[in-house]
Amino acid sequence: MADTTELLAEPSTGAQNPVETRMAVRSAVVAELRRLLPGVDDIRKPLPFGLPALDSHLPRGGLARGALHEIVPATETALPSAFGFVVALLTNMLAKLSRGPLIFILPGYTRLVSTPLSGHGLNSLGLDPARITLVETAHRKDSLWAAAEALHSGVPLAVTAAIDRLDLKTSQKLQLAANDSGRPLFLIRPAPTLEASAAATRWRVGVAQAARDRFGLLARPRWHLQLERCRNGRPGEWKVEYDHVTHRFSLAAALADHALSRRSSARSHKQAGRS
Amino acid sequence: MQGLALGDSLADARAKAEGLQVHPLDTAADDAALRRVALWATRYTPTASPWCRDFWDDETGADGFFLDIEGAAHLFGGEDKLIADLAERLSHFGLPARLAVAATPGAAWALSHFHHAPLFVLPSGDEASALADLPVDALRLAPDIRSSLRRLGFKTVGALLDKPRAPFAARFSAQLLQRVDQALGLLDEPLIPVVAPPVYHSLNYLLEPIMAQEAVIARTDRLMQTLANVLARDDAGARALRLCLYRVDGAVETVDIGLTLPTRNVAHVVRLFDLKLAALAAAHDTGFDSEFGYEAIGLAVTRAEPMPARQIEISSTDLSGDSVGPVTGDAAERYAALIDTLRGRLGPQRVRRFEPAESHIPERAEVLTEADVDSEDARDEESAWPLTDEKSRPLLLLPQAEPTEVTALVPDGPPRRFCWRGVTYYIAGSQGPERIGAEWWRTPFGQTKPTRDYYLVEDFSGHRFWLYREGLYGRETADARWYVHGLFA
Repeated sequence: MADTTELLAEPSTGAQNPVETRMAVRSAVVAELRRLLPGVDDIRKPLPFGLPALDSHLPRGGLARGALHEIVPATETALPSAFGFVVALLTNMLAKLSRGPLIFILPGYTRLVSTPLSGHGLNSLGLDPARITLVETAHRKDSLWAAAEALHSGVPLAVTAAIDRLDLKTSQKLQLAANDSGRPLFLIRPAPTLEASAAATRWRVGVAQAARDRFGLLARPRWHLQLERCRNGRPGEWKVEYDHVTHRFSLAAALADHALSRRSSARSHKQAGRS
Repeated sequence: MQGLALGDSLADARAKAEGLQVHPLDTAADDAALRRVALWATRYTPTASPWCRDFWDDETGADGFFLDIEGAAHLFGGEDKLIADLAERLSHFGLPARLAVAATPGAAWALSHFHHAPLFVLPSGDEASALADLPVDALRLAPDIRSSLRRLGFKTVGALLDKPRAPFAARFSAQLLQRVDQALGLLDEPLIPVVAPPVYHSLNYLLEPIMAQEAVIARTDRLMQTLANVLARDDAGARALRLCLYRVDGAVETVDIGLTLPTRNVAHVVRLFDLKLAALAAAHDTGFDSEFGYEAIGLAVTRAEPMPARQIEISSTDLSGDSVGPVTGDAAERYAALIDTLRGRLGPQRVRRFEPAESHIPERAEVLTEADVDSEDARDEESAWPLTDEKSRPLLLLPQAEPTEVTALVPDGPPRRFCWRGVTYYIAGSQGPERIGAEWWRTPFGQTKPTRDYYLVEDFSGHRFWLYREGLYGRETADARWYVHGLFA
């Protein structure tokens, strides 16, 4: 035992503590490699929301980059919110970091997501539409193929796809493809029932009343977020709002105008009943 | 058949031969068939040009084609061997052919029609002597010139050639001397090829016909390797390629692909052809069907663009071994390769991007155009999109605004409640109106399109919609209708 450790240790260090010396050498080499290849570590870094309340639930303090993330609209009518959340994620986490296209794969075969994305709408949320490549597919198979192909190419910063059904095996394949490429794959799943999947996180996005400015105008969209599943993390539930100008998430003030809205809601129902 | 001749009347022909089958002339089908054969003949040379109708103004239509075999004959062991091979293959299709090789299209045409031998090769420079004995019809002249020449006693081409030119120029249309000069090679005669001649071309004849898609792809790979070397030598890259598959029964299948950026990447091009063949097979619902097999395969670069040699960029993803794909190179190249691959399987108009359009009508304010790879400088420019803060626009815009039932307190006020797709939404707050007028310059004179008042509304649970009221209440309409046009995030 002693012989081998001595052999491995550097002869000049006096062999005071050979294991420690080796560790020091190794960390120096790793640091040197990191310095030489600045991009490598960047790709693997998780993407933080910038909200401690959320980030503490996620492994390593952010969304894993080379992973599959499912975004599920909580109700059928919450689909625009789900899209909005993905756009906010892309803008907040990726678009600022580096240049590169973002790929959206949208099916033309189902009515579930038949409403097309609008370039001006994306622009209003702070995402430059010129960076988006829109892929329209005719079958579910094509969507999955296109997503895997885009990930394999290593070109896009992120891939977003809307898929209505997905089995466990396919989700494992996509998760592997995302992991290999180091790019996140956001899957929007407008489906009433969800199968088991290999996704790293599953978010359920519900509608919430938007934040208003002092003139009563809609200032920042809000979403009811539910982190339903999270590998190596904890599930949670938040109401977040997104500022399209600063590209930043923040937690919605919890009880600020809750009572007010409930009262006005009741009043309007009464009015509707009377009229 | 017994005594039948060209130019007989139908009644005579019927009297001579019993059970004669008569079909009306279908010139369109004839032309299509001729085009098909000419396309097949591109296996000999890239330039095949079917004859046009103005060569021979009678009713039978064009019945042959020119092949420009300059520089191609040696591949078949000489001109004699080439036309012998061509004649044999045509006879297998049931087409008895008369072939002639000459230095000019005019001479070749004349010899193929009026020389006694069905296959004839005229050595270059002998045009005048070879044509001298042929009738004046051999010059591809309009019928009225032919008949007046015959009336003047000119029976052969030789008789014309001996005479001074000036009187002919004065008496006849310019066509006569033009045809004479073209036949003798004094005047150029450009050929109109059946398909655009490729810039780079590589052809492979196979000993045994091949049937399987994998075999075709393997062969394409070899052809592309040959082409890639030639392209690299010329500092050029392919923007469009055509794969010609020559079937044993004479049909030709062509597969065209386009590329976003010029490329010399063999693996990428071959993969695109593979995807395209698979897509074609899927479209026909039969699987890959080569019928009797392919006997020759040609790969041509139909559009080439300069592509200077560049040092390959080593990106961090390559170093970490993250990206494993057939395509290497810089980011723009890989992006172009991705677009090509997606387009190869999904078809054109499926990979697109947003482009702002000059209009304030929401549905016309943007268009989707085919995705393209920007050059580096274009990407650094300011975005063509307006600044974010001006107006809020819905993330999802309905392709067609959908009519909705709206309850409002006053006819020209904001909505209080509306029903859309079977659900009633009670509005908690609304923002607007944003008035968007119709584009009067697009509507016909005298007509007006209603103005729209857009409201951003939010219901009590937090759904956000973009509604509009069509028509100004009291001015343009008495009964304004409401539409849902978009959904906010």
